[in-house]
Amino acid sequence: MGISNNVKYAYIVARVRAMKGKLIPKEMYPKFLNMEIPEITRIIGESEYKKDVDELGKKYRSTDLIEHALNQNLALTYRKLIEVSQNEANYLITEYLRSWDIWNIKTIIRGKFSGASEEEILEDVVSGGQLRYRDLSEIVKIGTVEGVIAAFAKTPYYPALEGYKGDLAEIENALDRMYYSNLIKAVVTTGNRLFLKFLKTEIDLKNLKMLFRMKRAGMERDEMIKLLIPGGMEFKESDLARLASLPMGEFVRALEEYSYWESISDISGELTSLMNIETRLDKYGLVYASQISYYYPLSILPILDYIVSKKIEVDNLRIIVRGKEMNLSEDIIKSHLVM
Amino acid sequence: MVDPSQMGMVAVGAGLAVGLAGIGAGLGEQAIGAAAVGAMAEDEKFFGKGLLMTVIPESIVIFGLVVSLILLFVF
Repeated sequence: MGISNNVKYAYIVARVRAMKGKLIPKEMYPKFLNMEIPEITRIIGESEYKKDVDELGKKYRSTDLIEHALNQNLALTYRKLIEVSQNEANYLITEYLRSWDIWNIKTIIRGKFSGASEEEILEDVVSGGQLRYRDLSEIVKIGTVEGVIAAFAKTPYYPALEGYKGDLAEIENALDRMYYSNLIKAVVTTGNRLFLKFLKTEIDLKNLKMLFRMKRAGMERDEMIKLLIPGGMEFKESDLARLASLPMGEFVRALEEYSYWESISDISGELTSLMNIETRLDKYGLVYASQISYYYPLSILPILDYIVSKKIEVDNLRIIVRGKEMNLSEDIIKSHLVM
Repeated sequence: MVDPSQMGMVAVGAGLAVGLAGIGAGLGEQAIGAAAVGAMAEDEKFFGKGLLMTVIPESIVIFGLVVSLILLFVF
């Protein structure tokens, strides 16, 4: 990486590092667990989320207020990253954050498919990508899945949606594959091998989570292979095909060959909850992003690290608040937190 | 003492010492300045630290200046 590239990343990396310094420290989460919802709302309302909590305070109350404030803050933070970055960083961040467009499209279509209300769907919409909240809230008003798909006709995601024949899993899978193949293409054109390494690891973790879920659901090998995303770092297509064909016990043993094993090895004997495994894998992703961002300080990696950390902060706060609302025990809430 | 007819070359040397040191410091400050502005945009408290870090490469120019003064007045 030459001098000019270092200079290009210096501004955005320093800014993102300062933003990361403002994230809620992990020592705060156990304290949140001992608090009641109004107290947590007050503390969140005095933190970086103040503006969002104040703005939405007239419209929502209690946990709904926190949920909307967290989503709005996440979306605005990601949009800010796109706005303050330039050149290659801007291009890569924009392409990476398209995952939120995919998330929103999936949320709206799933919501319409299951007959959820507009309000329920909007609760989960995070406009962190290229699709604006205003446009998405208009699309949510459309009554049918076909109508929603037609509304996305002018977006680049339409090719994955147009083949909809009543099977949600099919278009969701098509959206995911389209997102990752476009992203890999974009990263390859810029020649940013650090991003490619990060992305391939992310694909591996996503595939691993999907494999656990699908095996638990008892899916057939061929169905599984169709849903897995190609292009991972350690799980090549032949590995995925082999892992998909193994029964659960052997599958877990086969994972010992891969580096992801150390993140789940201590709970491999008690695979009672998928949530546990997913929490561990999320933690692995978080630690990995943070580690490699220190190896290459003036690159896209610290920005990706921040994007991952911010998402996990919002998820953790949401888990605490929703867990408290449902009177779950502290231990259960704690086991779901990624920290 | 330098021969008076050679004074022109000494002046050129003195100029190069300051000029090249200035260019070097400028290159060094590019990234530091950009990073300092980025950090300050997020948190004004970084102003002091940012300013300090930005001027650290300036010391190279002072070395250049000292060398040029020695060239001009000591030789």
